[in-house]
Amino acid sequence: MVKVANQTYIRRLSWKAMRVSRTRNLIAVIAIALTTILFTTLFTIAISINEGIQQNNFRQVGGYCHGSFKYLTKEEIDTLKDDPLIKEWGVRQLLGMAVEKPFHKSHVEISYCNENTAKWMYCVPKKGKYPAEGTNEAATDLYILELLGVEPVLGNEFTITIDVDGHPTTQTFILSGWWEYDEVCPAHHVLIPESRLQAICTEVGVTEENKVYDYTCSWSLDVMLDSALQIDENMCAILMNHDYQPEGYPEAKHPISYGVNWGYTGAQVSQNADPTVVVAIVLSIVIIVFTGYLIIYNVFQISVANDIRFYGLLKTIGTTPRQLTRIIRHQAVALSVVGIPIGLIIGWFVGTVLTPQMIKNLNGIYSTVSINPMIFAVASVFSLMTVLLSCRRPGKMAAKVSPVEAVRYTEGDGTKKQVKKIAKRISMLSLAKANLGRSKKKTVITILSMSLAVVLLLVTVTFTSGFSMDKYIQQFVVTDYVVAQSGYFHVDDAHFDDEERVSDELIDEIHAQGGVSEGGRIYGTTGLVRQHVTEEYLRNYYARYFEAEEVDAMIAGSKKVNEGALIHHVQLYGMESFVLDQLYVAEGDLSKLYEEGSHAMAAVYHANDYGELRESTNWAKLGDSVTLRYTDGFEYYYTDNGEVIENIEKVSKNESRPIDSRMTGYRDVTYEVVAIVVIPNVLTYRHYSSDGFIINAQTFIRDSKTADAMLYTFNMEEGADTAMDAFLQNYTENVNEDYSYESKMTYAAEFEEFRMMFLLLGGVLSFIVGMIGILNFFNAVLTSILSRRREFAVMQSIGMTGKQLKKMLVCEGLFYALGSLALAFGLVIVFGPMLSGVFESMFWFFEYKFVIWPILVLMPVFTLLGFAIPRLVYRAVEKQTLVERLREAEN
Amino acid sequence: MNILETKDLRKTYGNGETAVHALDGVNLTVENGEFVAVVGTSGSGKSTLLHMLGGLDTPTGGSVIVDGKEIFTLKEEELTIFRRRKIGFVFQNYNLVPVLNVYENIVLPIQLDGVEPDEEYVKQVISTLGLESKLKNLPNNLSGGQQQRVAIARALAAKPAIILADEPTGNLDTKTSQDVMSLLKVTSKKFSQTIVMITHNEEIAQMADRIIRIEDGRIVVGR
Repeated sequence: MVKVANQTYIRRLSWKAMRVSRTRNLIAVIAIALTTILFTTLFTIAISINEGIQQNNFRQVGGYCHGSFKYLTKEEIDTLKDDPLIKEWGVRQLLGMAVEKPFHKSHVEISYCNENTAKWMYCVPKKGKYPAEGTNEAATDLYILELLGVEPVLGNEFTITIDVDGHPTTQTFILSGWWEYDEVCPAHHVLIPESRLQAICTEVGVTEENKVYDYTCSWSLDVMLDSALQIDENMCAILMNHDYQPEGYPEAKHPISYGVNWGYTGAQVSQNADPTVVVAIVLSIVIIVFTGYLIIYNVFQISVANDIRFYGLLKTIGTTPRQLTRIIRHQAVALSVVGIPIGLIIGWFVGTVLTPQMIKNLNGIYSTVSINPMIFAVASVFSLMTVLLSCRRPGKMAAKVSPVEAVRYTEGDGTKKQVKKIAKRISMLSLAKANLGRSKKKTVITILSMSLAVVLLLVTVTFTSGFSMDKYIQQFVVTDYVVAQSGYFHVDDAHFDDEERVSDELIDEIHAQGGVSEGGRIYGTTGLVRQHVTEEYLRNYYARYFEAEEVDAMIAGSKKVNEGALIHHVQLYGMESFVLDQLYVAEGDLSKLYEEGSHAMAAVYHANDYGELRESTNWAKLGDSVTLRYTDGFEYYYTDNGEVIENIEKVSKNESRPIDSRMTGYRDVTYEVVAIVVIPNVLTYRHYSSDGFIINAQTFIRDSKTADAMLYTFNMEEGADTAMDAFLQNYTENVNEDYSYESKMTYAAEFEEFRMMFLLLGGVLSFIVGMIGILNFFNAVLTSILSRRREFAVMQSIGMTGKQLKKMLVCEGLFYALGSLALAFGLVIVFGPMLSGVFESMFWFFEYKFVIWPILVLMPVFTLLGFAIPRLVYRAVEKQTLVERLREAEN
Repeated sequence: MNILETKDLRKTYGNGETAVHALDGVNLTVENGEFVAVVGTSGSGKSTLLHMLGGLDTPTGGSVIVDGKEIFTLKEEELTIFRRRKIGFVFQNYNLVPVLNVYENIVLPIQLDGVEPDEEYVKQVISTLGLESKLKNLPNNLSGGQQQRVAIARALAAKPAIILADEPTGNLDTKTSQDVMSLLKVTSKKFSQTIVMITHNEEIAQMADRIIRIEDGRIVVGR
């Protein structure tokens, strides 16, 4: 093929052709922009949520560097840090942890680090600066200062006792800077200069050679790589580049251990692991592509049909079909260049509004709106792809045009129809119908495009109105209120101890408010309680989580009691009568549990969201005997001579003598399982560790010798809710922040919010798709009226009145508008029950209800559109006189 | 009896220096049953005259009286209704409605008026124009001559007071032109239909009962 340098001409030709059809361009640009809005919004939400998960992971990890090399010497750092795979690096040297009050409950690390590492650990001073070398300065967060009772004023002194390799030392620092603290971060930091760190080490006499713990004064190198993909492989490669080996590498000469930030991998895994999310995103993309295709295709198809004479002419004078398709494509790309950026900007703003709404309803996600350039890149690519896909067929049509026929072409000539039955009576309605039949494809696409929005709205409304508040509340709330310390409600805090007990004073105070109809405590174990289980059971239990060898090791390490039974963890509840009332009894009879001091026990099973029991969640069956071992204390000792170890923490890690622990006093109590029960989620420990059992509250206190209420739950008399809510809100926010509560009201509000999220999301989606549908409709009506100007003039000259003409046009408009409603209605009737089945399986609190009101609401809106748009467009045509119109077309 | 009469009909486009007098005081009378040809060169004002006669365009001055009615006193809507009852049009490019078949096109003006067509009469018109076998066809697969015959039938069907034909043979070859003209002449006689036809073709004009010449917006007598 001869290559001809005609690109410029073709481009100029497309440009000239484009400038003629301004209205078409405007509509196409809006259509492309709307399509891009949909894509950008979708990707903004998706990527923001993903980044939110990552952010949350990083905060839990305590940093966002890609990985760290640990326990390094300074020489090793110097070797590694300039590796080409490392984009940025930071170093850190840990001195030790803060000990003694007020830090006995917090994890506070005292260390030196450079600015990169500090930044990656979220330790960037909001006020002040990093501590300067050679000074007594230190920087820390507000939480530490608050615990110390030190005002966050730069220059203030504060004193901390630090455990440096087992040697406590008290040090005073001058505050050089502080930052806000983050509840999610597990560790708090005090940053000190490297010089001070060395000085403290020298002071307590810890050296590289004599230190007991690996981490004391050890260096780590935190790195950022080029990308978050394959961190593990790259970390490994970095080591190998310098003749080091990762720890555990066979025949490692110079092993170095390293860690990968699971925040990155975690986010990826969680994304991959959830097929519903993937399906939802793919489905959304398909819908958007389809929506975009329907309008962009229609716009181009119509414009090519109207300009067919022009294309015929071009072909007559020698333009090749390939060049004609290129002309169309050039136009499409030019319009995209305008439309896509507009859509990106608007779409991102829509995304920023919607994302927080979504995240609010998803647990454990840091609220962030991403401005990741990927959003815009991917959205642009998808939009452009949709545009090019949409203008393929119109391009082919222009290419295929026969130069001769093009001159005679009028819309609808494509149909092979030659004859038509004689209609009994020609009415404006039958004329309208005949007119719509001229280009069936256009009519169908326009109707489809409009009904898509209606279907989406119907699905959204059906979906959200199917959310059953009753079903939802039943699952979560059995009683009106649950009061406990904040830690209990905190998902990440899977530990209950005597400091987290609900005080009797608070319970008395709640009752003093009046209106409490009934209530009860759940006691949780704060001492050591273990159960006797068979080896076989324990093996199976461990096998769920561990490899075979590990299981063997664990079984071997388990404490044995008589007759081969082993000691294993247990989740034991002591429940007062009111709480026992709330249990779901699957088998057996609870009545014996109400007897104080009885040896009756209920075995706790878990159920799925649909209320079906999960067999594997407890080993005990009805009538089984369960023996619990209540331990009063235990000690560590050397197994060789039985010598008791006073302080296990003082034992060097290089200790060669075997060590074990033993109970210093225990009681075995046997109970009989009289019932199989399910505890409503809100009344459990809220984390799963092992088999759960329930005994009477008094029995619990007697046998465990502890009485720590994990929570207090109660019901209110009718109408007293609001006052109690106000009391508890004030109490937990102002009087004692350690406490927190949940109520039916908070759950109802949460549910409402969840529902609103879907309504908002679906509403916005339906609205944008609806705009596209209406735009498509407007374009179809506009072009069909403009291209028939002459025909209307003829009709009027042979006696059609303006009124009749308008009536005909309105009939056409109404046919589109009401036709799309009817189509949507039909689709929902047919596919509704099928879809609801999917919803029901996805959301256990979904109940299918047939919803019709959106159609009834849309009916007048669509009627108005069908009525108004043709009349508006016709008004523009009417301005020309009959004679002008008759003449114009003749040219 | 005069079925059509114009009195000092004027049409001016533009104003002042650039004013163009398309019609400059035309006085014309057409008798019932007459077949009149208006001849003139392009730009002579003949098309403007026809548009005025049919009430498609409004004059700058003067009046047009059709069947005793001064048409420009009518309101827009009334004028359209008057037109579909009293005036039939035949255009150079046929102007059939593409979505309607031949029969529907023919009876369209009658049905637009909301009355039942006079079946006997319509049948007669159809057979006179030789369209019996084409009634169900859509316009786009008829030849030019056939389309023009349908247009004539449409103009006739409503039994108008007058048919206005605008270059009816302009798009047709000589042979077909002759056929169409004969048909026009035949129908004019058979249904005593008044026809005013404009053309630039002398030969075609010769087939009319009377020829009116128009030049620079004025009727030229004799020659």
